[in-house]
Amino acid sequence: MNKQFRSRTARGIAVASALALTLTACGRGDEGGGGGSRGGSASPGITDDSVTLGITTPLSGATAGPGTCTVAGVKAYFGAKNAEGGVEFGDGKTRTVEIEALDDAYDPQQAKANYDQLKDDVFAMTAGLGTPTNRAWREAAIADEVPQVLVMTGDPLFSDPEESPWQLGFVPIYQNEGEAMGELLASSTGEHKVAILSQNDDFGEGYVEGFKSAIEGSDNIEIVNELTYEATDTSVDAQITELASSGADVFFNAMSVTPLMISALQKAQQVNWTPSWFLPSNTSSPGAILEPGGAAAYPGIYSVAFSKTPAAPAFADNEDVQTYLAALKEHGDYPDPPAFPHCQWSWMVGATLEQAFAEMTEPTRENFMEALRSIEGFEAPLMLPDTSVSTGEDGQPAVSTVVVQKYNGKGYDTVETFE
Amino acid sequence: MASASSVSSAPASSAPSAPPFRQRPWVRWALPLLLLVVLVVAPLVLSEGVNETLARIGVFAVAVLGLNVVMGYTGQVSLGQIFFLGVGAYVTAYGVQNDWNIVGVFALACLIPAVAGLLVALAAARLGGLAIAMVTIALPIVGVPLAKRLSEFTGGSQGLSARFAETPEWTGLYDDQWQLYVVLVIGGLVFVLTRALVRGKYGRAFAIVRGNENVASSMGISPYRYKVLAFTIASLIGGVSGFLYMLVIQYTSPETMSFGHSIELLAAMVIGGAGSIVGSLLGGAYYVLIPELTNQVDPNLTSLLQGAILLVVLFLLPGGLASLPRALTRGRRRTRVGRGPAATPSTPSSTTGSATAEPAPTERQGHA
Amino acid sequence: MGTFVQLVVDGLSTGSIYAAIALAIVLVNQATGLINFAQGGMAVLAVYVAWVLTNEGVPLILAILASIVFSIVFGAVVERFLMRRFERGDPDTAVVVTIGLLTLITGVAGWLWSYNNQQFPSLFPLDTVQFLGVSVSIRSIGNTVVIIVVMGLLQALFVGTKLGLALRAVAINPESAAFSGLPVGRLLMVGWGLAAALGAVAGALVAPQLTLTPGMLDNALVYALAAVILGGLTSPVGVVVAAWIIGILENLAAVYVPFIGFDLKVAVPFILLFVVLVVRPQGLFGRKSVVRV
Repeated sequence: MNKQFRSRTARGIAVASALALTLTACGRGDEGGGGGSRGGSASPGITDDSVTLGITTPLSGATAGPGTCTVAGVKAYFGAKNAEGGVEFGDGKTRTVEIEALDDAYDPQQAKANYDQLKDDVFAMTAGLGTPTNRAWREAAIADEVPQVLVMTGDPLFSDPEESPWQLGFVPIYQNEGEAMGELLASSTGEHKVAILSQNDDFGEGYVEGFKSAIEGSDNIEIVNELTYEATDTSVDAQITELASSGADVFFNAMSVTPLMISALQKAQQVNWTPSWFLPSNTSSPGAILEPGGAAAYPGIYSVAFSKTPAAPAFADNEDVQTYLAALKEHGDYPDPPAFPHCQWSWMVGATLEQAFAEMTEPTRENFMEALRSIEGFEAPLMLPDTSVSTGEDGQPAVSTVVVQKYNGKGYDTVETFE
Repeated sequence: MASASSVSSAPASSAPSAPPFRQRPWVRWALPLLLLVVLVVAPLVLSEGVNETLARIGVFAVAVLGLNVVMGYTGQVSLGQIFFLGVGAYVTAYGVQNDWNIVGVFALACLIPAVAGLLVALAAARLGGLAIAMVTIALPIVGVPLAKRLSEFTGGSQGLSARFAETPEWTGLYDDQWQLYVVLVIGGLVFVLTRALVRGKYGRAFAIVRGNENVASSMGISPYRYKVLAFTIASLIGGVSGFLYMLVIQYTSPETMSFGHSIELLAAMVIGGAGSIVGSLLGGAYYVLIPELTNQVDPNLTSLLQGAILLVVLFLLPGGLASLPRALTRGRRRTRVGRGPAATPSTPSSTTGSATAEPAPTERQGHA
Repeated sequence: MGTFVQLVVDGLSTGSIYAAIALAIVLVNQATGLINFAQGGMAVLAVYVAWVLTNEGVPLILAILASIVFSIVFGAVVERFLMRRFERGDPDTAVVVTIGLLTLITGVAGWLWSYNNQQFPSLFPLDTVQFLGVSVSIRSIGNTVVIIVVMGLLQALFVGTKLGLALRAVAINPESAAFSGLPVGRLLMVGWGLAAALGAVAGALVAPQLTLTPGMLDNALVYALAAVILGGLTSPVGVVVAAWIIGILENLAAVYVPFIGFDLKVAVPFILLFVVLVVRPQGLFGRKSVVRV
C-alpha cells in the first residue's frame, strides 16, 4: 500500500515541478518597472495615440444589473469619441480611449485580483461599482500609485485626499443624499412622524446618518421607528408591517435593491399605509420601480438626483439624452433603455475623464490626478440644472450636489419644498 | 470493508514487479528536493503578476485542503468552510490594526477559528448526512450579518484593510516575492502536516468513518469523536487560509464569507479531486485561475463560461483533476489490452457494484 | 395585536415562496436521492421562457403552461445527458455538478436576457382583502392555494401511485429497482422532468414579487433547503409546513426578540433546524431513514 501512495505522490511532485519549471522559464522581464515610473516618461497604459482605462465591476451575480451599466456608459461615451477620431489631450495629442473591463462578481478578492491583472496595462482604474470591491484594492492602488478615480461608491473614504491620494469617488457620498432629503423635510412647517428603513451596510447607514444630521434640532420632526433589512432578504413585508403600525406620515427608505423596493411600495399600500416616501437615487427609477410599485397611490415620492432620467417624458426630446441613448446602443453594447441610473452616471464619468484629459500636459498618472482634481463647476452631459462636477472640494466626491425631486406620475420635477 | 476498499483503491495492476523509475530510492529524495529548489527559485524569477496569482492560489489551496480534511477524507459535507477563512481573516486584520505581534496574530488566527469549529462540530457532528450540511450552511449565512453586527471589531460592511508583513529590508525582495515566500512556507507546512495526518492513524480512522460509521463503531473508532476532530482541523486550516488571505488580499469584509464563496470552495474541492492532497492544490488553482481565464475570454460571460467549464471538467474527469493521470493510464492500458469490460481495472467503488455501471468514476485516492 | 396577526400572515406568504422551491427540491430528492442546487436556476429559466412568450403576446396562462412543458423536457434532458453520468457515483460530485448547472443557467439567462430586473405579470391581482384587521393580497392567497394543491398532488403521487412508488424505489436503491424490472433510466428522467415542471410553477408564482432576474431564486434557495431538511425529506406536507413555520417565526423573532432583530433573523430557521434535528433526526414529518451497513 505504501508503494502505491509513494508512487502517486511522486507523480504529483513531478507534475508540480514540471509546472514550476515551465513557469520559471517565463522569467521576470521588467525588473524594476512595476512600481510606476517617475519623471517625465509616460506611465503605463498610455501611448501617443491611445490610452487604456481599467474597470473592475460586477458583471455577473446579484449586482450585475447596475454593474453592467457602469461599464456600458463609459464605453459608450468613449466609443462615440473614438469614432470621431479620439479625445484631445492637454499635451496636444489626440488619443483613442480603450476600456478594459473585468468581472469581479462583487467579490472583493476577485476585485483585487482584477486590479493586479490590470495595473500594469492601464493608465487609470475607473467607474467600478461597490464599496467592498473598491476598498479591497484601495491601499494597493495607493502603494502602486495607480489612479482609482470616479468610482461608483458613496463611501466617503474615497473622497478624502489625505487618506486616499490616488482616489476620487464619483457619486455623491451617501450622507449627502440623505442630508438633502432631511433638509427638505426640515424646511417643512408641519408636524411629521418619520419611519426609517435602511439597508444594513454603509449604504443604509450613510443615508440615515445624513438624514438625521439634517433634521437634528427640528422640533416638528420625530423619528418614530427605525428598522433595517439585509440586501439578501427575499421580502421586507414584516418591516413594512411593523413600520406601518407606527403611524408615520413620512417614510425614509434607504434601500438599494430593486425588487425589494417594488414590493415595499406594494406592501405599504396593502396594509393601508400611505406616507410620503424618500428614496435613494439608485432605486427611484420611474419606469423600473415606481410604476410597477404603484407609487401613484402615495401623496409624494421624493428622491434625489443629479442626472436626467432618459425614460421621463420631460427629457424624451432632450438632445443630450438622444445622443446618449444612441451611443449606448451603438458603442455600449446596451440595447435597452437603461433601468439603472448607473448607466447615466458612467456616461458622465466618461465626460469628466475627457475634461481631465484635456488638462493633462504630461502623459503621467501624477499629472492626470492633478488635472482631475482641478475641475470646477463642469456641467457634464445629462446633468440636471444646479448640479455639476467639482473635484477640488476636500472630502467630497466629483459630484457633491444633488437636487431633490418629486415624482409626478411619469418622471420627476425638482422641488424646493416638502408639501 | 471500507478500509479495505480504500486501501486497495489504486489499480492493482499499476504496480509491476520491477520498481519503476520514480520509485527508486534516490528519485524519492531527489524529486522533493527538486521541487523545493524550484519553489525557492521560482518567486525570484517569475513576473509580479504570476507571483501574485500563485500566492492567491496558495491561499485557496489551503482553504480547499481544510475542506478536504472534513469532506474528502472524512465524508462529512461542510458548506461552511469559507466562514472559517473569514474568521481567520478578521482575526488577522483586527490584530494587525491593533499592532499585535504578528506571530501571536497568526496563532490566534489559527486558534479562534479552530475553537469556533470545535464548538460547532460538538453540536453538528451528532447529526449525519444532509443535516450536517444544513448546519454548516448556516455558518456563512449567519456569519455575514453577524460580522456587520460586530462592526466594532469588523469594521462593519466597509470591512478592514490591513497591510502587514512588509518586506524586510535585508531580503532585498519585492513585495510580491516576499508574500509568495510567506505563503509557500506557511501553506507548504500546512500541506506537509495535513499529508502526514491523513496518511497516519487518524487518516485511516477518518476513512473508516467516511466509509461506514457503523463499521467504525464496531471497530472501536468513535465516529463522533473523529468527525469532531476532522471538523476542528478543517476549521483550523481554514483559519490559516484566512491569515494568508489577509496577507495577500489585505482586505476583508462580510462579502468575504458570503455563502456563494463557500459553494465555490466546495466545487473547487471536487474539481481538484476529493480526498487528495494534490487535488487540493489543483482545486485552489481552479478557484483562482478560472475566473481570470473567463474574464480574459469575455467578462460579460464569466458565469456562463465558469458553469460550462465546471461541467465539462467533471464530465470528463468525475474524480476531479487529480484523477487525470489515472484516467490517462487507464485509457492507455485499455487500448493496449483491448476493449471490453474486463479491461476496466476493477475499481472497488463499494456502493455501486453493478456490472452495468460505467468505470466507477468516483473512487477516491485512498489515504493520499 | 393587529400587527402580530399581520406579521403571521406576512410570514405565511413569504413562507409560501420558500415552500414552492422546497417542493421541487423534495421531488427531485425523492426521485433521485440528490439535492439539486440548480432547481432554482431551472425554474428561473422556465419563467424566462414564459416571459418571452408573454412579450410575444401569448396569454399569461398559456405562456406558463408552455414553460411547464418546456421544463419537463428540459429536466428530462438534463437528467439523461448530464446527471446520468454522475448518478451512481459520489453524491458530492453530483451535487457539484448541479452547482455547475446553476452557474451555467444563470450565465445563459444573463447573456440572453441581461441581469436587469424584468417585470413578470402575476396570475393573481394585487388587490387586498381585509379580515380581522389584517390585509392579505389576493396574490398571496392565490399563491398559497396553488402551493397547497401542488403539495396535495405530490403527497398523493408519492403515497398513492405506482409511479410515485417506483420513483422512490429508484432513488433508494437503483440496483434492486433495476433488478425488479423497473425502467430506472426512464423513471429518473420522469422525476427530473416533474421536478422541473414544479419548479416552473413555483417560479411563475414568485416572479411577480421578486422580479425576474437570473439570480431571482438564489436567496430563497437557502431557506428552501432549510425547509426541506426541517420538514423531512420524504414529506411534501412536512416541507410546506416547515416553510411556513420558518416564514412566520422569522418575522416574529425579528420584531419581538430584540437581540435577533431584522439583521440576524436569518439565523432563526437554522436554530430551529438544529433543535429539531437533535430531537428528531428525520425532520418534523420525515420517515426514519434506513441505515445502510
